[in-house]
Amino acid sequence: MRRVAVIGVGVTKFGLHDRTSAELFAEAARDALTDAGVPASAVQALYYGNVVGGETEHQLHTGPQAASVLGIPSVPTTRFETACASSHAAFRHAVMEIGAGVSDVILVGGAERVLNVSTAESTEYFAYASDAVWEQPLGLTFPGVFALIARAHMEKYGTTEAQMAAVAVKNHRHGALNPKAQFQKQITIDQVLKSAYVADPLKLFDCCPFSDGGAAVVLASEEVARRHRKPVWVLASAAASDWMLLGDKHDLARVPATERAAAAAYRQAGLGPADVDVVELHDCFTIAEIVATEGLGLFEAGAGGRAAEEGRTSLGGEIPVNPSGGLKAKGHPIGATGAAQIAEIVTQLRGEAGPRQVDGARKGLTHTLGGNTATVLVSLFGRD
Amino acid sequence: MTESTVTVRAFFERARAGQLTGIRCGSCGELAMPPKELCPNCHARAWETVTLAGEGTIASFTVIRVAPRAHAADVPYAVAVVRLKEGVSILGRVVDIPLDKLAVGLPVRFRPLVTHDQTSVGFGPP
Repeated sequence: MRRVAVIGVGVTKFGLHDRTSAELFAEAARDALTDAGVPASAVQALYYGNVVGGETEHQLHTGPQAASVLGIPSVPTTRFETACASSHAAFRHAVMEIGAGVSDVILVGGAERVLNVSTAESTEYFAYASDAVWEQPLGLTFPGVFALIARAHMEKYGTTEAQMAAVAVKNHRHGALNPKAQFQKQITIDQVLKSAYVADPLKLFDCCPFSDGGAAVVLASEEVARRHRKPVWVLASAAASDWMLLGDKHDLARVPATERAAAAAYRQAGLGPADVDVVELHDCFTIAEIVATEGLGLFEAGAGGRAAEEGRTSLGGEIPVNPSGGLKAKGHPIGATGAAQIAEIVTQLRGEAGPRQVDGARKGLTHTLGGNTATVLVSLFGRD
Repeated sequence: MTESTVTVRAFFERARAGQLTGIRCGSCGELAMPPKELCPNCHARAWETVTLAGEGTIASFTVIRVAPRAHAADVPYAVAVVRLKEGVSILGRVVDIPLDKLAVGLPVRFRPLVTHDQTSVGFGPP
């Protein structure tokens, strides 16, 4: 496999927009191309994440639609859909294509628009990522899935609601340093604990928001990347899947797909969790961050809640997690999230993250989870 | 040729009549539910239909208070992953148990939830 680098990143502000998802992607993609210093004519493929376009925008075929709105209609384009991990799956595909020598420059990104519909509607559409025969008819929601995981984790390991709240407080503290974040306001443990239950034991402030937004990254072969001022190398990109149905998951307190994807990524890169300086991971709910820090090997199984409470995952802590604010504070436009996490890690490894910079970060990790934990992608990055 | 596995339709027809149906692999003995084409353990296709007792305990549960549109009138309602005594687990609605009495490990029994032409998996007191 040839070496692959990220040479350009672009992210819109996350939150409420009055533009289509394709327009949001196009803004991010334009910024990513400018950042990469390559003309749009150099792009040989576009791989694109978008999840509920069919529902919220009555738009399928969103890959070529996004390419058309950007103004590069003739490049080969495919939309990837792995629920919330869609643009990370698109990214892995591009890494393999450049690695295999098929292309030299690929644009990867994603976008989502959901704030144009009601919360009840978006709650329904997100639940489509659970099984339509066995789970949706029961009224299972996306917070409900993670509430079941949270309860199992609390029972097995003694994780507390206050520990989960610590994740929300930390990510809001980080998000307050990110001008692109949906929420740039600090919150307190008390505010989280006193917020209304959405799906017990998860409360409103344990949940990431619904968000509109777009993100894009430009990938290049080593030959092209060497001409860039600060290439960030892709050291690994791995995917794993797991049972779709919650009933088939043997231990709800763990996410086996995270453990498998992480193991594969560490093996590809010849690295271990102790080598990672900064992490962007999938905190769609506070418990998701706790379980992910364990599955990625940053902490032992069951120790993630305490680690969060002790500040070990904060900026300035031993392994800063979600310096961008994470999905919780930065926002979670689901099709864009994987690319946005990669954009943050690239920015961190370039040393250009401003007040939220992790000092001296040389190796970074992104982790993106799809819906009911049936899809996980993990990628590792390093600078020269 | 082996028997066909239980179809979704057949599962819910039997569920409507009060029976939870699983399948057991004639090759390795693995029990599965809901039905699958290949045995996830040995990848054989040698299923035998088995009727489950419908008795189990709550492995995890949640009370949903913000619902999709189709369930908005039901809130708050409980869903749980129930571990059946035969060793397989399935998600179901919990009914006829006060929400504040729900607990991991609580014994429950299968009951079909029939609305209009749809049957779904429910659990109530044993």
